[in-house]
Amino acid sequence: MTEPVFTVEQARYRYRERVVLDGVSLTVRAGESVALVGRNGCGKSTLLRLLTGADRPESGRVLLHGRPAYAQRRRDVARQVAVLHQQLPPVPGLTVRQLVAQGRYPHRGPLGMLWRPEDAEASAALAATGVTGLADRQVDTLSGGERQRVRLALALAQGTPVLLLDEPTTFLDVRHQLEVLSLVRRLHTERGLTVVTVLHELDHAARFTDRVVALAGGRVRADGPPGDVVTPALLADVFGVRGRVFADAHTATVRALADEPLEEG
Amino acid sequence: MRWWWAVAALVVAVAAELAVGRGVDWPQLDPLEQRILVELRLPRLATALLAGGGLGAAGLLLQAVLRNPLAAPELAGVNPGAVLGVLGGIQLGLVPADSAAGALVAALLGGAAGGSLMWLLARDGTPAQIATYGLLGSAALAGITTLLLAYQPGRFGNALRWLVGSVDGRVWAHVSVAWPWLATALLLAWLCSAVLGMLAAGDGHAAALGLSPRPARALGLALSVALAAGAVALAGALAFVGLVVPHVARALCGADLRRALPAAALLGATMVVGADAVAQVLTLLVQSGSAGQRLAVPAGAVTALLGAVALVVVARRSPHVEVS
Repeated sequence: MTEPVFTVEQARYRYRERVVLDGVSLTVRAGESVALVGRNGCGKSTLLRLLTGADRPESGRVLLHGRPAYAQRRRDVARQVAVLHQQLPPVPGLTVRQLVAQGRYPHRGPLGMLWRPEDAEASAALAATGVTGLADRQVDTLSGGERQRVRLALALAQGTPVLLLDEPTTFLDVRHQLEVLSLVRRLHTERGLTVVTVLHELDHAARFTDRVVALAGGRVRADGPPGDVVTPALLADVFGVRGRVFADAHTATVRALADEPLEEG
Repeated sequence: MRWWWAVAALVVAVAAELAVGRGVDWPQLDPLEQRILVELRLPRLATALLAGGGLGAAGLLLQAVLRNPLAAPELAGVNPGAVLGVLGGIQLGLVPADSAAGALVAALLGGAAGGSLMWLLARDGTPAQIATYGLLGSAALAGITTLLLAYQPGRFGNALRWLVGSVDGRVWAHVSVAWPWLATALLLAWLCSAVLGMLAAGDGHAAALGLSPRPARALGLALSVALAAGAVALAGALAFVGLVVPHVARALCGADLRRALPAAALLGATMVVGADAVAQVLTLLVQSGSAGQRLAVPAGAVTALLGAVALVVVARRSPHVEVS
């Protein structure tokens, strides 16, 4: 067993009156690739925020390398963990190269960013995601798929061993969804990156990750290899749908098919 | 290279400013003309350079850290607050009417107060809401200033300088107070520019990279107040410089603040120097028309006209200025 990167113990979190997380416990070890799944508003994104220490749990503990994530300096966290949020707002006038170079901030600091932040690491990140050819384009003129690859390059430029992704395939067509997820998968296998991805598609979770964690009712409802976790019972219990699950010899994974919503009890 | 166009424009503006100044007949200067050049024309030029550079840079910083293309010192309460600070200080007898240092302190206090007030009112708003609040707040602050003027009009022979903005009559005593302040603020702003630029892609983006967005934004706002209030103390609320110049700077140099900030300072200086050259020509025309009347057209009147035209161009290219 490798050392734990994230340790979550009985984390509770409330947003105003609503209990979002109600005692979540979870350990993610170095080199794992984990999918977080669950219905809208089940606390997946909140859990990501707690993992980076952007927010603190009301009770319980969230540790990053054994120390409370919330108490660590932001730049120290950013040297260990890169995060891809759901959306990047418009950045008029900013080029791909300039945006990706900002990923060097955790290492270079405020004054180090003044002189040529577009260093070798930033160039390597552009190359790794195949966007070197877009380097001088403006970010706002890119297509959705190009944008996501550029944002992955930004995360890679941080040079972190851990990558968190919040629904990286939202707004992408099916081809670009597969492209982005394959790219993340390749980075995981080739570089040994620890990856935690919030995903909506169970098929994607089954095919591109090694471990599926399903959240429902503010708790971890299922946690294990995709073949064990993705079942008709999970579809009913976590997602509230009647569905079927098949073994797919072609991709050597399971595939989930949702048929109809169940009556809400 | 586009930088050369900006530098060339500045050179042309400076040459025009020196060429049209009264009392100096180029190229042969007698001793009196030399004194006029050194003691009146050059400090006037320096005033225009400093005030324009300060306002242009302040506007760019505001637009970047507020992520709002309609942000400007005059729409963020800073300029009206600084004007109120200076004129209120004079009116209440706290600031001697011709003290450059007193005006600087009063403008900083007023600008910081006006800017903070706007920020508290509008901080969570959309760009359009922030601009609307800014417009309302600026009108309210200008109203208070007018009340002060009406209350005791005799003491305000000079009020037009700050209300409209003018570089006329500024001498080395004023410049020597203003330049260290503005130069320091500009240098600090440039040293912070790479970090402040990271706010442009949103607070979540900055935080994910390890930059706490709130203190960074507060720093950017403080620097833009320092720059704008310093400029207003020297030459008054020159209209539109801080609103229009940043758009042109980004169009020329892109959104990277490390380059856009010096460009905004350069273009702001160019705009005010050029506007003052035009103002001096207009003054000559006005005075030749009406015998005996003494009226100097303030540079702020010209920047307002130039700025209005430029703003129409910018607005028609919205939502975002394209950079090729």
